[in-house]
Amino acid sequence: MAVSRLSRLAARARVPVFPALGMHGEPALHRLALTAGIELVDSPRHASLLLVAGGVPPDRHAALRRVHDQLPAPFATLWYRSEPLIELAGATRVDELDALPEALTTLHRELMQGQRGSSPRLLPDEPPNPWEGLGDDGHGGEGMMGGVPYGRPMVMNMTDDLRDGLTLDSLTVTLGPFLPMLPPGLSAEVTLQGDLVYAWTTQDAPYPTALGSVFFRALQEPVPIAELERARARHHLKRLHVALRLAGLERLALQALRLAFEPRVEQERVTKLRRRLGRSGFFRLTTTGQGRLEQGQARRVGGVAARAAGLEEDLRGRDAAYRRLGFTPILQDGGDTGARWRQTLAEIDQSLQLAHQAEREGAHTEVIGSVETPCGPWGEHRSEDASRLLDELLPGLEWDEALSTLASLDLAAVSEWPQETLQGSTEASGNGAESCEERRA
Amino acid sequence: MIVNELILPVILVTVVLVVGAYLVAVIDEAIAGALGLPRAANAWMAPLARGAWLLTQQANATEAPDWRAWRLAPALYLALAAIGLAVVPFSPTLIPTDLVTGVVLWGSIEALATVVIFLHGWSANTLLSLIGAYRYVALGLSYILISMFVLIGVALPAESLQFSQVVASQAELWNVIRQPLGLPLFLIVGLGVTFWGPLNLADSRDLAGGTASAISGPPRLVWNLARSAMLVAFSGAAASAFLGGWLGPWLPGPVWMLLKMLAVLAVLLLIGRLVPRVQPERCVTLMWVVLLPLSFVDLIWAGVEALW
Repeated sequence: MAVSRLSRLAARARVPVFPALGMHGEPALHRLALTAGIELVDSPRHASLLLVAGGVPPDRHAALRRVHDQLPAPFATLWYRSEPLIELAGATRVDELDALPEALTTLHRELMQGQRGSSPRLLPDEPPNPWEGLGDDGHGGEGMMGGVPYGRPMVMNMTDDLRDGLTLDSLTVTLGPFLPMLPPGLSAEVTLQGDLVYAWTTQDAPYPTALGSVFFRALQEPVPIAELERARARHHLKRLHVALRLAGLERLALQALRLAFEPRVEQERVTKLRRRLGRSGFFRLTTTGQGRLEQGQARRVGGVAARAAGLEEDLRGRDAAYRRLGFTPILQDGGDTGARWRQTLAEIDQSLQLAHQAEREGAHTEVIGSVETPCGPWGEHRSEDASRLLDELLPGLEWDEALSTLASLDLAAVSEWPQETLQGSTEASGNGAESCEERRA
Repeated sequence: MIVNELILPVILVTVVLVVGAYLVAVIDEAIAGALGLPRAANAWMAPLARGAWLLTQQANATEAPDWRAWRLAPALYLALAAIGLAVVPFSPTLIPTDLVTGVVLWGSIEALATVVIFLHGWSANTLLSLIGAYRYVALGLSYILISMFVLIGVALPAESLQFSQVVASQAELWNVIRQPLGLPLFLIVGLGVTFWGPLNLADSRDLAGGTASAISGPPRLVWNLARSAMLVAFSGAAASAFLGGWLGPWLPGPVWMLLKMLAVLAVLLLIGRLVPRVQPERCVTLMWVVLLPLSFVDLIWAGVEALW
């Protein structure tokens, strides 16, 4: 009786969901962030439900199995626009975004009330490598040093300190592709000394970013500038949401996300958000002038990052329709994390201003064949992946600085399919994932 | 004797900690709702439902953790909160343990909290937990000195290290007015010792929960309970040291004390929701370069005021 009462009570808790993002799974994340009763957690240990959102390329299946097995029992999986792993063929799959919150809530309730069994473990419950400890201390080295117990070298003081002479043991680990603080799909081998990033080697690039169809149409035909600029502002607001959540500003993060989904984003509300951000200490407390891009690096990333480093690179300046609206590129000179967010906020403001003015005048783009996307210029080629830049940019930064730098950069390639196509058809999602995978290979 | 000096104090501390920890969750939920975050259907029920969920969840394992330390750390942190609350007076007579060195004991709790939180992160044998542990040591070393100077400041006018005497010394003027720098500095110490809001460097989102990133089920419930309990214990210390403890008109002393504790809790929880997490390096710089000198000023101020 007591157990059943406990289970009934547990079923009323917020639904703790760990999102493992595949390709183009962000819409699910955004929807759930705005849903009361769902809690998106950062560690699989803190979840009862594993949500796999978007197609996961086959080479990430091994990592997905490891994440799956980290959830504490009882737990279940839900697959949003994603094919369940072969061992979990009977798992629940949902393809409609609107049905997702309800499906998660039902799954959690059934799990807590014992109407559904826990998902099976997929990997053997044993260390990934055999114990190879030898010698007096059992770790295979001499004295207290060396050895490779469980196939991983003991942390050893083998590298010089990059910062202040306080040398700590260095530890090399692989992070991603499902770590929520990293862009979806990104994985890297990272060597840390304490919380200082000593070395960063990007292994898998982040999944390509899907842009709104208006950017694709702008390549082919004149499009309303108002529509183009609102889509740009929405893209930046969604990125801002990620950064603010990471900084612990949950409330402002949600405000940014709500604005991104408003049918008509109002400039006044964005101005209010900017003011609140300034007052909260976001720039003073969470950015310390780190993550500075040199001009060459900024040019490789393009878009906001380039303009935040003082480069006057914006294809909109070449369009007479934009010039008639009085457009001139906004520039910063810092090139660091803080400058990129100041630039992003200023560009959101500018986009909404342009949209308002263009709507009044019925202005359309006049240049065909190229467009300034929120991720950078798209002329002859789409923006390409620039995540290898992290290998030179992140070493020497503390973990927190490295992650806030990462959040301020839009490094993923631009997808060859528009957002609406990918969201409109389940088939498109699967094919898109495969094709992008092939292209990256 | 045993009833008065052992059983009643234990009951008092346990009740205040458990009810207080529950209220922390309710107030935090209410603040979140007021700030426009998605709110639970029932703020009073939400903490109980969450507790029940954690009780039904498996306590997981990591690869080769230091089991004893890993399981013990949450309980030790909870014990530190209980010991801290035990020296807090609720009225001139209702004091769980009226130690003559209560202020010193509180200082030692802050120091031991650093050890326990490091132990929690280190013993899990996982990367993100370990980084959380490292970070907390940097934070702990930074706020302890500030706390020490601020607490000496309140002991000076009382000419005693006993919390009940510190409260009695505020009969004419509360320390929050007498030493205006003291309470703001002590609130920052509180955010540090509970690693809450802007000073949550140990269990932060960028570390997927830091020292708690690898725990689930009942151990996580104890850890969360211990963090809330430490907030309650801290609010008791702050209310006694700066807000006149049980002193106040019309209402009974213990009611005043509880109201003041709730006010301190509400302020800490509100800061936790409104201010971003400070970058560790910026945090340590602020502590040593700005706040520590300010705590010197507070101490000199308190000394001059005591002589005058």
